[in-house]
Amino acid sequence: MSRSRQRVLRVAGTLVVIAILGFVVLPALVVTLAAFNDKAILAFPPQAWSWRWFAKALAYADFHSGFGNGLIVTGWASSIALLVGGAFAFALDRYAFALKRTIEAILLSSLIIPHFTIGLGFLILAAQIGMARGFPVVVVCHVVLVLPFVLKSVYVSLRNLDRRFELAAAGLGASPGRVLLTVTLPLLLPGLAGGWLLAAILSFNEFTASLFVTAQRTQTLPVAMYNYVREYADPSLAALSVIYIAATAALLIVANAYLGLGKLLNVEPHR
Amino acid sequence: MTPRPFLRVFVAPGVLMALALLAAMATVLQYSLRAYVPGSLEAGGFTFANFTALLKPLYARVFLDTVAISLLTAALTLLVAYPVAYALVHRQSRLTKAAILITAITPLFLGEVVRTYSWMAVLGNNGFVNSLLLALGLIDRPLQIMFTKAAVVTALVHVTLPVMVIMLAAALSHIDPNYAKAAQSLGAGPVRTFLTVTFPLSMPGVIAGVTTAFAWTFSAFATPQLIGGGQVNMVANLVYQLGLASFNFPFAASLSVAGLALTLAALALLRLATRPLEKLGPP
Amino acid sequence: MSSLTAERPPHPASLAVEATDGEGIAVSLRGITKTFGEVHALKDATLSVRRGELMTLLGPSGCGKSTLLNLIAGFLAADQGELEIDGRRVNDTPPYKREIGMVFQNYALFPHMSAADNVGYGLRMRRLAKQEVARRVADALALVRLSGIEDRRPHQLSGGQQQRVALARALVISPRVLLLDEPLSALDRSLRASMQVEIKEIQRQLGVTTLFVTHDQSEALSLSDRIAVMFDGQIRQIGSPADIYRRPSDRFVASFVGDVNVLRARLGSVDAKTATIRLGAQSVSVATGPLAGSKPDDPADLFVRPEQLRLSGAGEPAAVQGTVATHIYQGGHVDLYVLAPAALGGRLLVRSSEPDAITRWPVGADVGVWVSGADALAFPPQEQKP
Repeated sequence: MSRSRQRVLRVAGTLVVIAILGFVVLPALVVTLAAFNDKAILAFPPQAWSWRWFAKALAYADFHSGFGNGLIVTGWASSIALLVGGAFAFALDRYAFALKRTIEAILLSSLIIPHFTIGLGFLILAAQIGMARGFPVVVVCHVVLVLPFVLKSVYVSLRNLDRRFELAAAGLGASPGRVLLTVTLPLLLPGLAGGWLLAAILSFNEFTASLFVTAQRTQTLPVAMYNYVREYADPSLAALSVIYIAATAALLIVANAYLGLGKLLNVEPHR
Repeated sequence: MTPRPFLRVFVAPGVLMALALLAAMATVLQYSLRAYVPGSLEAGGFTFANFTALLKPLYARVFLDTVAISLLTAALTLLVAYPVAYALVHRQSRLTKAAILITAITPLFLGEVVRTYSWMAVLGNNGFVNSLLLALGLIDRPLQIMFTKAAVVTALVHVTLPVMVIMLAAALSHIDPNYAKAAQSLGAGPVRTFLTVTFPLSMPGVIAGVTTAFAWTFSAFATPQLIGGGQVNMVANLVYQLGLASFNFPFAASLSVAGLALTLAALALLRLATRPLEKLGPP
Repeated sequence: MSSLTAERPPHPASLAVEATDGEGIAVSLRGITKTFGEVHALKDATLSVRRGELMTLLGPSGCGKSTLLNLIAGFLAADQGELEIDGRRVNDTPPYKREIGMVFQNYALFPHMSAADNVGYGLRMRRLAKQEVARRVADALALVRLSGIEDRRPHQLSGGQQQRVALARALVISPRVLLLDEPLSALDRSLRASMQVEIKEIQRQLGVTTLFVTHDQSEALSLSDRIAVMFDGQIRQIGSPADIYRRPSDRFVASFVGDVNVLRARLGSVDAKTATIRLGAQSVSVATGPLAGSKPDDPADLFVRPEQLRLSGAGEPAAVQGTVATHIYQGGHVDLYVLAPAALGGRLLVRSSEPDAITRWPVGADVGVWVSGADALAFPPQEQKP
């Protein structure tokens, strides 16, 4: 019977997908369990269970400063990226102007250019113009890196926006500025929020370029974590990773509930 | 009222950022053509030496390895991501879709260090794989999995998977379901419907995904650095060693320029190779 | 054209060959029920489609006609009931083994294939030789009068051309049943009308059993051999267009197909076959049918088509009195809207082919309206569900 053959296909397909998703989740599960190992090595499965690495990770000074620096850099970078990217996406959607496609291509090029090249570039540039390796360089570098994501996210939202709302407002007497503030922006809010969130997560976790442009006092959390792994082999980093994973997953679940990740990432069918 | 009321205000910041990026890239280009002055961050006069040095087998080797690893990763990721993207789009239950989506994309947001470190816990001598094989009695001494190309590729596939799933799912979700129905009404079973209709129509997504996977993998750093441990070197690792460890900015710059040129060349080739495939997709 | 009426190309997985039942029923539905969560899309639907006929499933949106079509195609499974195609039970047969041909509302032509490849798709799935495929494709395109566009992609064709390609694609595989899901709704009016004629001619020529879904009752009336009128998941009436128009079995069918006036009247006398309806100065004879069980002097609703109402001067004896409200000139006839309290909705539509109707009955004139012709019907009033 062909209905049972269909069923076999479905079951096989489901198993394959579960296996692949298992592969995706495997490192997170393993590192979670390894974080509880009492011994001072990264081993699986743990022979004895302990919270000490969590305590150590949370107390480590470099992780503290890394976290703080990360927040500063991310806060500035994602907000600036949102403003710049959002504004440019608007102009991209609505206006025709000279070099439009060229500027867009340049802004999107950071998707293709390796992060180490961008990091190296800003490092040398800063040195050349005599700028100290402080936060401004790091922030500008991060803005350049996350801008494409913000641009795409806001652009997609603009494309899905029904212009007739704006036309109605204008017809009722609102100036372009008022239309923007009272109609366009509120309607774009999910797209803007999603874009900002995406930029923030990517910036906070960015490693390669940050490795080049940050200095000892500005190092972000990923850089601090990397430096730790190079020196120590204990599971502190595993503990930190677990905290990371839990926080990220929670954030994404909340984001999906409120913003609908499927729509944001453009994976939902448009009917 | 002007037809473009916010033009200047909205475009100017974007232009500034574009200029910043261009300035950084120009700096790299500039430094690649200048001589290395040991012990100083300044560069000397104009020279091609940094590029001719690339032709040494040691460095050429790294470039070839990087291309090979990137191609392999892109291909494997496509194979693994497609079923997930397909399930994501075709499953009906909202809960299932959300579960698949969040599970698939969470690695993307963990950051390179956490992700790579987790793989060390899986692949290390005391890690998951070895413990499992030892427990099952299949081996009596731990296998050396870390610091091999296979380990690096596995971890890189893991990194690239979320992006590929998103791009494939985006393409698949925009295919009108009536096409599959029409194919079935004409006598095509589920497998032939997929091969002759669904997969060809997903081509734009496949090409976009493979291209992005290749470009991303080419510039990978943390994964080969930590999992490769010096034995598996990609371009990024070389740039780091020379640029930050030795402060040989000019050579690091030339490596970057060469790497970028190679990426663009490879992408152009990929486009040419997939041009006939593009014809299969919708116009 | 010859290859399309020739023997059906061998289907790789078909079991029983030709239908064995001598009645010539191509599609048989018995007691089909389908529910989506809370919604009862189909309730105990029973239908027999004769081989070679063109049957239309007609009804408003939400009536279940598309559900029924998708069920016959195999894209939906019935919760209960039996479905047979050519005498063979197909409840568990997947769509790709039912040997149906389907034309979708948006045509669903494969965008990555040329028109010829689209048409030949079904034949390639049946593993016909390349030359045979080419021959049959050419015949099919000639049948829909589209020879010459073989190599064009769907996006390079007009809406009407796409529609024909979709038709050719469904016909070339010599399906047991041709299913059309509102295929003409995307076309403009003049194109629609000419396509209706063409579809009817092709269907006649090939003798292929056809099921046509539409919400447009004039389309149904002009195309069909028989119509199945559906509402709210049920099949209300099956019959020829004339049957449906002149002898609707219930109020819904009477009001859905064609324009109709409803007048509140009283039952005069009633026996087994005929009843008399009293309305003003007129007595109208109707078939008893739905009025069985009613007593003399019970209220009854009289259903009259616009072309069977006549106007007279205000003083003359008539069924109802009214005032002319609007004229709508239609070329071949004039539609006059007459305000009349006795009518359901407060006004009547009178259709007159008299050339001087507009001057004879100007707006604002008081008129008498009376029923002519023998095709009036009566149903019990709305409160008692028919």
